Amino acid sequence: MRLSAVPAALCLACLAAAALLADRVWAAGAVAAFMLALVCRAPRRRRRLYVIAALTSGLGVLLLSPLFANVGFDVLWSGPTLPVLGTLDVTTEELRIAALNALRLIAVALAFAAYALLLDHDRLLASVGLIRRSALAAAIATRLLPTLERDAAGLLEAVRGRGVAVEGVRGRALLVSPLVAGSLERALSLAEAMEVRGFGRPGRTRVPRAPWSWTDKLAVTCAALLVTGGALWL
Amino acid sequence: MALGPLVEVEGLAFVYPRTAVPALEGISVQIELGEKVALLGPSGSGKSTLLRALAGLVPHFHGGRFSGRVTIDGRDTRRTRPAELAGTTAMVFQDPEDQVVMTSVWNEVAFGLENVGTPTAEIPARVNAALGAVDALQLAERRAIELSSGELQRICLASALALSPRLLLVDEPTSQLDVEVAESFLDALTGLDATVVLSEQRIGRALELAERVLFVEGSRLLLDAPVVEAVEWLADHRPDFLPGAEATLGPVAEGETLLALAGVSFSYGDHIVLDGAEIELRAGEVVALEGRNGSGKTTLARIAAGLLQPAAGDVQRNGTVCYLAQDPGRYLVRERADEEVALAVGGDLERARRALARVGLEWAASRHPRDLSSGERERLALAAVSVSEPRILILDEPTRGIDPPRKRELSDWLLGYVDEGNAALVVTHDETFPAHRRVRLGVPEAARV
Repeated sequence: MRLSAVPAALCLACLAAAALLADRVWAAGAVAAFMLALVCRAPRRRRRLYVIAALTSGLGVLLLSPLFANVGFDVLWSGPTLPVLGTLDVTTEELRIAALNALRLIAVALAFAAYALLLDHDRLLASVGLIRRSALAAAIATRLLPTLERDAAGLLEAVRGRGVAVEGVRGRALLVSPLVAGSLERALSLAEAMEVRGFGRPGRTRVPRAPWSWTDKLAVTCAALLVTGGALWL
Repeated sequence: MALGPLVEVEGLAFVYPRTAVPALEGISVQIELGEKVALLGPSGSGKSTLLRALAGLVPHFHGGRFSGRVTIDGRDTRRTRPAELAGTTAMVFQDPEDQVVMTSVWNEVAFGLENVGTPTAEIPARVNAALGAVDALQLAERRAIELSSGELQRICLASALALSPRLLLVDEPTSQLDVEVAESFLDALTGLDATVVLSEQRIGRALELAERVLFVEGSRLLLDAPVVEAVEWLADHRPDFLPGAEATLGPVAEGETLLALAGVSFSYGDHIVLDGAEIELRAGEVVALEGRNGSGKTTLARIAAGLLQPAAGDVQRNGTVCYLAQDPGRYLVRERADEEVALAVGGDLERARRALARVGLEWAASRHPRDLSSGERERLALAAVSVSEPRILILDEPTRGIDPPRKRELSDWLLGYVDEGNAALVVTHDETFPAHRRVRLGVPEAARV
């Protein structure tokens, strides 16, 4: 089944909303698992960074938030008392909340990954009229993410090629500033190319748009029902 | 549509903001509809600025001090913004990565047509015609991110052609492309009805395509002549700019082996790139590593430099190795040129300045690398890899996009470098680049489709 861009984006937004509204761990987990399966349809090299970022963030929430929360009475582990933070302990309720929040975060992050990796941003852009400039900026930013990845790898290789070791987070952090400078340089060149192709000129037209198919309509209806379900029962 | 020449430039002078040196001075030229003009000259001479002035980007996009007059199809560029000139003019820039806006190829070509207000019903036919004109119809549904640089640059040309411009400005479009891809791109420019002004460092091809030559140097127009006269003028005054013959130097006396790769194999996932590749590099020699696109030249160079580990095979290095990647000017990391070079020698600025002097950049020691021109950045990157005086220097396509005098300087420098008992492996498509040996890499059987 292949959805048009707008229904696909709406479905992703609805799934992310359902995960945020869900109050049961299994429900948020089901949405996160579905999202992961969806993202796995993208090429392995491109999806790797997104999946790692989403899972690492979720794991961070799962591991850290029970230590700092103060909910519940069923204490599973009691740790030392620290200044400012107080006593570190973990309760069953804190673990449940941490798992729920972690799965929500993973689901939302993977929804963004699916948006970035699988959607046709051009068709999405063609469907928004009033906020076209903002949508175009978002589409370009998304398109340039792989270029940014490639530039980061190029910088790393350029420095290593000179026989200079780049190790650890600190070593890589030194490359952030040139990476940003390079991105700004690319942005200027792109703006120049857009201007010369008439961007910003009054009286623009649009390529013809295909109407929504029955699968598009069905998918959006199901997604809307899922959000309602998430709010009421999940 | 105005009567008279399509392009009229009178006494054009331009200075970029925050600089004192003019980028253009006293340029006057007229170009008729349908003419094919080659715009030649060294890097940093003002060719790109002149093309930007013809597109209206100078002064509207860049600011700066502008004097004189540029008229395109009767419209004065001081009063007409580049976006308003779109359709009359179209431009293809050097780096395809920096000019693609949309995600899919078809929409990319349609982008300009939408902007200039082409009637909706006409857009599909014009997009398909433009893609067909550059032999890229089969790419229409692909995502831009999946395309090679050569394919992407053809899409950029299709995007320009879709606008049916009267004036097509092309700024070193092949500087990021391999030779075969560059040839096919330049072929697509032949037979166009539009006026074409082509800035290009592949001089031979530019002269074949053009009827007339403009030669710019030091911000001034030195020559405006038909091709035959221009070739005579170049032979007398700028012989470096005439196409050279294949340059293989005599073999060197057998020195010690500095680098030996035997039976090296490598694959990216299921895609086999190298299958039992072998190469040997001896002290005192420059070896040119050639091969078609996809033959694994860059992969072999990276394995030789220790940046990749082979899946199988043996790599022996007898001395330090440094590697200069493709498009090195983009990958500079420090705020000052001397600090950039000093990075490889533990911050030794004295040594860095000596390395800068060797590539003619002593004056740029305190400048920000990104303030330098593209040619100067390439030389800075060369200083940055050679400052530690490695015994083995590996350069990946070092001549791509650089002008002929710079290419000669690079080869002279490299021959001097290997004369001191070092060795260089140069990945190149450029048959005129001098080398003691030329090694050609074939595409592995398993990688052939």
